[in-house]
Amino acid sequence: MAAPRSESAGPSSGASPAEYEALCSYLRQRTGLSFGENKRYYVERRVVERMGAVGARDFTAYLDLLRRQTSGEELQLLVNLMTVNETYFFREKYQFDCLVNSALDEVVRGRKPGDRIRVWSAGCSTGEEPYSIAIMLLEFWKRVDEFEIEVRASDIDSRALARAREGIYEERSLQFLPPHLITKYFAQVAPGRWQIIDELRESIDFSHVNLMDANGMARFHDLDVIFCRNLLIYFDDLGRREAASAFYDALAPGGFVFLGHSESMSRMSSLYLPRRFPEAIVYQKPRSDADAG
Amino acid sequence: MGLIKAGSKDKGAEAPPPAGDPLEALETGDASARRRAAQALAARPEVLCARLTREPDPGVREAILTALVRGGSPEAAACLLPFLEGEDVSLRNAAIEALQQMPPDSVMPHLDTLLAHEDSDVRIFTVQLVAKLPHPERLDRLVAVMEREPHVNVCLAAVEGVVELGRLEALPALDRLKARFPDDPVVAFTVEAAHRRVGQD
Repeated sequence: MAAPRSESAGPSSGASPAEYEALCSYLRQRTGLSFGENKRYYVERRVVERMGAVGARDFTAYLDLLRRQTSGEELQLLVNLMTVNETYFFREKYQFDCLVNSALDEVVRGRKPGDRIRVWSAGCSTGEEPYSIAIMLLEFWKRVDEFEIEVRASDIDSRALARAREGIYEERSLQFLPPHLITKYFAQVAPGRWQIIDELRESIDFSHVNLMDANGMARFHDLDVIFCRNLLIYFDDLGRREAASAFYDALAPGGFVFLGHSESMSRMSSLYLPRRFPEAIVYQKPRSDADAG
Repeated sequence: MGLIKAGSKDKGAEAPPPAGDPLEALETGDASARRRAAQALAARPEVLCARLTREPDPGVREAILTALVRGGSPEAAACLLPFLEGEDVSLRNAAIEALQQMPPDSVMPHLDTLLAHEDSDVRIFTVQLVAKLPHPERLDRLVAVMEREPHVNVCLAAVEGVVELGRLEALPALDRLKARFPDDPVVAFTVEAAHRRVGQD
């Protein structure tokens, strides 16, 4: 999932400062996404669009709809507008190199052939990250055939997830993929448009997940690796803290978290051990209390 | 083998069982159950803080502190403040960090008592906490410490906070602090450095 774009002007929803704060507080509580006064134009533009779509007479009525609607449909539609999904295959590839050259070998130490390994791409946006993980595993992890590997992927944006499942990309998204991997894992469906082959698309389990929803998060457990890159930078301190805690519960002992290059777990949680591999720094859930120090 | 769709038959991936009564679960020997119980008890800060005093597991401590931050009530803040007086350094630091992440209105009203604590170290921790709280009274509180606090190290902690705020209106208070400790070269040096920093900002 990606960030709010900066915009310098926009239509007004008529929200008072207190009402705008109430909306931001609601969004933070329900989604973890943190919007401050500096993002007001960005938020207002989208709220006005949704107010028009649902026929809300004023901001108060719209906020009321968000809060009272039990289906959560309007919240989902607003969240879909709030997120931007710009990424590409093999983004920050050194982390994928770290996965296949270092971290996974440690994960499987002591495991038997046929055991399951679970990898989760949290905040997968339009799917480039989980497909990149799958391709890296299949192409570059020497022990890939010894284990059953489960790649799960989730996002809060239902539109982005639909695109991820569809798996159709413009050439720009593929620019860092070697041509032979494009040939192997994609089929050209139109000039400049490529689709992930069915076998690979069907091997990824995409689901709609809100990191702030404890019930939804309960489905994720015994994971060995979590990729959550460039998502938590849009959360506030509490949101990051809660996400780090949720990841801790979802990981098996010794499991790893990969964050974006500008993110640091040490500013979110003291529970993880920073591990410096040749390719990258990764954060590990201690295997035991002794590890935790 | 290779890639397997999630949800394929996999006996090792059972979801954790429901925790039952969180008050009971918070006292069990299973750290995972205690974490889940803590997450469910955000509205019971007194229960969480009582457990925090004797909780040995770092993961459960973190879950308790996160639940207290999420609760964010004045009661939760009040329950956490005594940890500033404790000997357990990691727990004290974790409590300070949690208080910094709570709504400032829940925390600030409780701090007068700690700013008058008999232990100057506790007063220093409290000043550092005040400096991190985005509250409208923050600068006034720090200035009040510089004006009245007898212990020089507590005053210097307040200067640090004022410098981070970078507010020009605090400069006269810095000068008055220097006058209160005329023979202390560290105060003189710190105040001059603070003038340069705040003036530049």
